Amino acid sequence: MIRFSHVTVNYGYVPGALKDINLQLHKGDFTLLLGPTGSGKSTLLRLIYMDILPSAGAVSVEDRWSSARISPRQINLLRRNIGVVFQDFRLIENMSVFDNVALPLVIEGYRSKYIRQVARALLDEVNMLQAADQPASTLSLGEKQRVAIARAMAKNPIIVIADEPTGNLDREASQNVLSLLERFNRNGTSILMATHDYELIKDTPYRRIYMENGELRQPDRTMNVGKERIFKTSTEE
Amino acid sequence: MKSSFVLRQTLNSLWRERTPVTASILTIGIALIILISLFEVSMALYRNLNDLKQNMVVEVYLEPSRGEADAGRLAAQLENYGTIERIRVVSKDVAAEIFEKEFGENIYDILKENPLPVTIEVRLLPEYNHSDYLALFKKQVEALSGVDEVHYRHVLVEKLETITQAVLISGIVVLIVLVFAMNLLIRNTIKLSVYARREQIAIMKILGAGNLFVRLPYILEGALEGLIGGIMAATGLIIAHKFIADSFAAVHFSPMVYKMLWINTISVGILIGLFVSAAAVGHFVHKIHAKK
Repeated sequence: MIRFSHVTVNYGYVPGALKDINLQLHKGDFTLLLGPTGSGKSTLLRLIYMDILPSAGAVSVEDRWSSARISPRQINLLRRNIGVVFQDFRLIENMSVFDNVALPLVIEGYRSKYIRQVARALLDEVNMLQAADQPASTLSLGEKQRVAIARAMAKNPIIVIADEPTGNLDREASQNVLSLLERFNRNGTSILMATHDYELIKDTPYRRIYMENGELRQPDRTMNVGKERIFKTSTEE
Repeated sequence: MKSSFVLRQTLNSLWRERTPVTASILTIGIALIILISLFEVSMALYRNLNDLKQNMVVEVYLEPSRGEADAGRLAAQLENYGTIERIRVVSKDVAAEIFEKEFGENIYDILKENPLPVTIEVRLLPEYNHSDYLALFKKQVEALSGVDEVHYRHVLVEKLETITQAVLISGIVVLIVLVFAMNLLIRNTIKLSVYARREQIAIMKILGAGNLFVRLPYILEGALEGLIGGIMAATGLIIAHKFIADSFAAVHFSPMVYKMLWINTISVGILIGLFVSAAAVGHFVHKIHAKK
């Protein structure tokens, strides 16, 4: 579904933000992207929704979009098929919760009746329907992240990319966010979640990809973070 | 839903940036009042100059010894120039009648003779009714045998031409300055709006919003500023016209003038707002994208 072929990213004069990455993500998978801060996780995620393009190599999504030959218009279309969840939520604070969730559908130009229906159903699913008319700025951090997940799901995306979605949340809210993502994954949505909250994911059975210094690391069954072993499956080349 | 979203964004932005928005609207309003007034003054001067030229008669006075036969020959000669619309020979007797009509006295009663010369009245084709050709025509005709003097209201023509030209040039200068000022202020307002919402724009881009969707609220914002500025200017201009019409009995404006003032002033306001904001928003939104 998503393929990285010999992808290298250099930021200006700083070479090697990502170095020769080869990776495949499969439809329906829940994949965890692990690694310390600055290891290149966010860069890898930004490549999928083509917020940045590789300096070398190519990223392709569903064989419909390839970074090697994509126009700005195609990038917009790609992004309409991908849900993104950020650590800092990136909600439009002065808009209502409902409007935030409805925004991807408004951009796509759906009819108001359909938008209302989908947005309310999603808000119900993330247990935020009661706050639909509130401005996003009045929500707690955990609530904001639930709304951000509902927004990411609004277009029934190919994949939801979650960049440290629990980074600003307490344990209970983090667990809620993970549960929500797991629930959407069980319904068929692919999830790629970057995190360094190893405690949160330690007992999950999902595929893990480990990054360090812009490179994918081979599985190492002896590698521990704190007291927890974080690898259960191998990364692939 | 899409249009109501864009409209809400526009109105929110107008409210949030109300101080620079007010400055932009006032600038547009004042600039439009100056522009339209200058345009009207130029048009009035141009019309007057044209009327004067249309009715301009060049009088060719023959030497006192010359008679109507000489005038007929000269008139035929002048017609060959190909620049003449109409020509008429005014005999000494007709000249005396005109004198009596204008001054109420018979010239024979005053002087016992008629010293008025035979005159040829010439009306030039409209395209030759300008000071350069008139001067040349005067010079050429005065050189003809039997012609004593050629007379037309050259001082008035030249003065009107100079004034019209001065108004036109100053109008262009004022236009450039005002357009520059409007451009600066509207751009600044749009810039503030874009920067205030740079996070929102970045989010919309991540959600796959196209250029038009992102830019439309700002373009509409410019157009609305132009519309409000236009309404203000049109109102001011109409009040000024009514005041002038009330103060001077000779001045009268038809209902069409008022109607055109509304339509033209508001349309120009909207167009200025639309174009300046469209140009500005492209620049600033692109910058935000580049920073992402």
